[in-house]
Amino acid sequence: MKFRLTIGFSLGLIFIVLFTFFAAVIAVIDYRVTSKLDGVLWTVPAKIYSRPLELAERSLLNIKNLERELDMLSYVSSDEPETPGQYKLTKDNLKIYLRGYQDQRSGIFEVSFEGKQVISIRNQLGIAEDFIRLEPIAIGGMYPSHMEDRVLLNWPDVPQVLIDTILVVEDQNFFNHYGVSFKSISRAFFKNIQAGEIEQGGSTITQQLAKSLFFSSEQTIRRKIMEAIASLLIELHYSKEEILLAYINDVFLAQSGRRAIHGFGMGSQHFFGTSIENLSKDQIALLVGMLKGPSLYNPRRNPNNATNRRNLVLRILNRANKISNTELETLLQNDLGISSPNYRTETKYPAFHDLVRIELQKNFNESELRTKGLAIETNLDPVLQESLQKNIVKSKKELVRKYGNKLLDIEGAAIAVDITNGEIKAVVGSTSPSSYGFNRSINAIRPIGSLVKPLIYLTALDKYNDYTLTTILDDSKLSLISGGKVWEPDNFNKKFHGEIPLHVALWQSYNIASARLGLDVGYEPVEEIFANLGITKQVPNYPSLFIGSFELSPFEAIQAYQTIAGDGFYTPIRSVRQIKDTAGDIELSYPYSIEQRIRPEPITLLKFALQQTFIRGTARGYSKKEIENWNAGGKTGTSDDQRDSWFVGFAGDLLLLVWLGFDDNRPTPLTGRTGAFQVWKNVINDINPPSTEKTILPRVEYIWTDLKDGLLSGEACKNSIKVPFIKGTEPTKIPDVRRKCASKKQQSTETILDRLREVFEGGQG
Amino acid sequence: MKNIRYLIGIIFISTFISCTSNQVSRDASNYTIPVNNFSQTVEMLISNDDFLEEEILKINAHNPSVQRILMGADAHLMKRKYIEANTELERALRITKNDGALYLRLAHIRYKQGLLQESESFASKGLLLRDISSWERLLLNVYLRN
Repeated sequence: MKFRLTIGFSLGLIFIVLFTFFAAVIAVIDYRVTSKLDGVLWTVPAKIYSRPLELAERSLLNIKNLERELDMLSYVSSDEPETPGQYKLTKDNLKIYLRGYQDQRSGIFEVSFEGKQVISIRNQLGIAEDFIRLEPIAIGGMYPSHMEDRVLLNWPDVPQVLIDTILVVEDQNFFNHYGVSFKSISRAFFKNIQAGEIEQGGSTITQQLAKSLFFSSEQTIRRKIMEAIASLLIELHYSKEEILLAYINDVFLAQSGRRAIHGFGMGSQHFFGTSIENLSKDQIALLVGMLKGPSLYNPRRNPNNATNRRNLVLRILNRANKISNTELETLLQNDLGISSPNYRTETKYPAFHDLVRIELQKNFNESELRTKGLAIETNLDPVLQESLQKNIVKSKKELVRKYGNKLLDIEGAAIAVDITNGEIKAVVGSTSPSSYGFNRSINAIRPIGSLVKPLIYLTALDKYNDYTLTTILDDSKLSLISGGKVWEPDNFNKKFHGEIPLHVALWQSYNIASARLGLDVGYEPVEEIFANLGITKQVPNYPSLFIGSFELSPFEAIQAYQTIAGDGFYTPIRSVRQIKDTAGDIELSYPYSIEQRIRPEPITLLKFALQQTFIRGTARGYSKKEIENWNAGGKTGTSDDQRDSWFVGFAGDLLLLVWLGFDDNRPTPLTGRTGAFQVWKNVINDINPPSTEKTILPRVEYIWTDLKDGLLSGEACKNSIKVPFIKGTEPTKIPDVRRKCASKKQQSTETILDRLREVFEGGQG
Repeated sequence: MKNIRYLIGIIFISTFISCTSNQVSRDASNYTIPVNNFSQTVEMLISNDDFLEEEILKINAHNPSVQRILMGADAHLMKRKYIEANTELERALRITKNDGALYLRLAHIRYKQGLLQESESFASKGLLLRDISSWERLLLNVYLRN
């Protein structure tokens, strides 16, 4: 009795121990199943996109740039666009088969141009459309440490054809088993023997999901048992739809650099450059076929294998009556239709990426950025960005050719901003713009040289009762004590120019006249103008400030010039447009904001002088027509000993700033004109921005003056120039020697009524 | 007192413009207001936000495709969804940069958002445009009231 009790007790104990052990194993697996399926699987890295290009009736467009963008989006030129991703471009017409993006449906559209303007947009039926939108370019993501990248699909996003293909190929009995199916194993065994090759696997979709989520690929009995337990637990916890959706979002499809492409949503973007709902049956067949061997059947690396595998999947679909014989024959003839990987795969444009990351860190923590699947829509113009990158490299090569190997390690940065709304369209932070590293566009704090002068002159012009563009400045020797030392500024050409009108001193960039002007207007008003332009750092009180010893980063400098180019309206420059969550709702937006900081009249006067930089000054070389069309203006900057070469200029709606210099701050042989301006010119010539409308202010009038004495002159007089004045501040004196030539063309065309209307329509002042 | 001076000023300016301007309003027929009611209308624009909004929404864009975007923006505006309305307006602004209809709406949205200084700045920027009607000019001036 005692013996039986002991055996019974022992067996019971063993049973309890075993039961507890298995229960613990199952509990651990169960925990892993639920935590993974409820959590990690659904973590999606934030994705960063360029701006989508929108074509609208009457919008302005550069056809060459459009073609470049189509190329970047992997659109293929074709005589007759028949499939998504094809286009035909002539000089006045674009026929395009759009892939579709957000609310832009896929389909064929025809866009007609006249010159640089879109005239009409029609859809396939010939019906007029207001606009079409191209897809943005994915320029990177905020990947988690495991580097899994996916585009999460929700059940309504999953096309039926994808479901059918997966089930037919991977698990025909999916809706009837409990995670493990002996029937599937035996059917796969016989089918594969019949076919003479591996057509089907024996594992159910649930098993494949369990294996992919929790276990290594080692083939052991222990792993198989664990996998089966996990599969049963998955079936216990989740519905069939949830399991299939998890599978669709989790499957591994490709490796792209360090990034692992998971799920059909990302796979579709990665291989075809469009979302899954736009894929044809053969394209879906290819993706499903790749599951068997993502590397072996990778269509970019092994197109023949991929084609064979796709065709096999299509035949399986045909045998399962999912596609007809005729359809099969057609689909078998299709090309793989893989998009170019260049612009869809890796994180690009590191300097821009850097700006975006800094912006995002103000509002999101790292974990949110790596898991919430945020879509970050930026202002990046990919064509301009590519042009900036290409031309900073090209310009460096030209400079090395001209000045020799001492410029081999010259560095640079450039930023392009939309004048109207402050959108940052392109950034480079190095003369090797594709490499990650020190981002000089935000981190190189350098003396801005003569870039400071327009800010000093603006301070003067803002006091328009005291200064006009023809106020005479003294450019003779200046000597004063500053910080206990004698300070004697010099002009770049080491000459003195005597008395000259204010605007001449600016576009000729004379140092001594500028220093005197700065000393005359005073530090405090200068500091106020700096602040109004958007410069937030402390302005030093020493005279070399007025000729450019002040240090700014390219980012800070362009912010100040944005306010000038924007007619005195301060607009914070911004790289991010808005951030959307996975449902497509706006999570955060970075709206266009403005603040009128400076009256537009003094800005108009300053812009005139900046335009003279192009006509007569340090940026001359463009035709009058180009300068007027673009309403261009700019300023060169060269710091002491030519350590820094700057150029900032606006053309059309674009403001572009370029800096060149050495990281170790040694002198360069470059001036603003011979260095940074060459980069600027190469970019602007390449992009050829559309022309813009010049701001006309009723309180500003243009009057002929003399280039030397600044007094009244006339169109027929030698050395005369038409200069803007705020009404009431214009010169009144005309020297006797010019009376005759000045009267030749001087005649008033304004009626009293016109003048009155101008006064009242001013609205502000 | 300041308000009264402002009101008198704006009535005077507007009456003067409407008399002297040879610029034809795009939809002038919609905005023709009898002269004897004019001062009353201006007063309502200043004091009645709903009336002001109604008038703003009547201003069409020059470009039909931009007008289509504005219709979307207006729908959001009427539902007080200012962020969405702003997104649409910025989209329109990328297509055309010189349309008073856009700046009017931007000024109005910022005003409704309580961003009065920004509202005023958008109005001031709109006033710099060349091709705006006298009525648009008057409406923009209303946002300079603060």
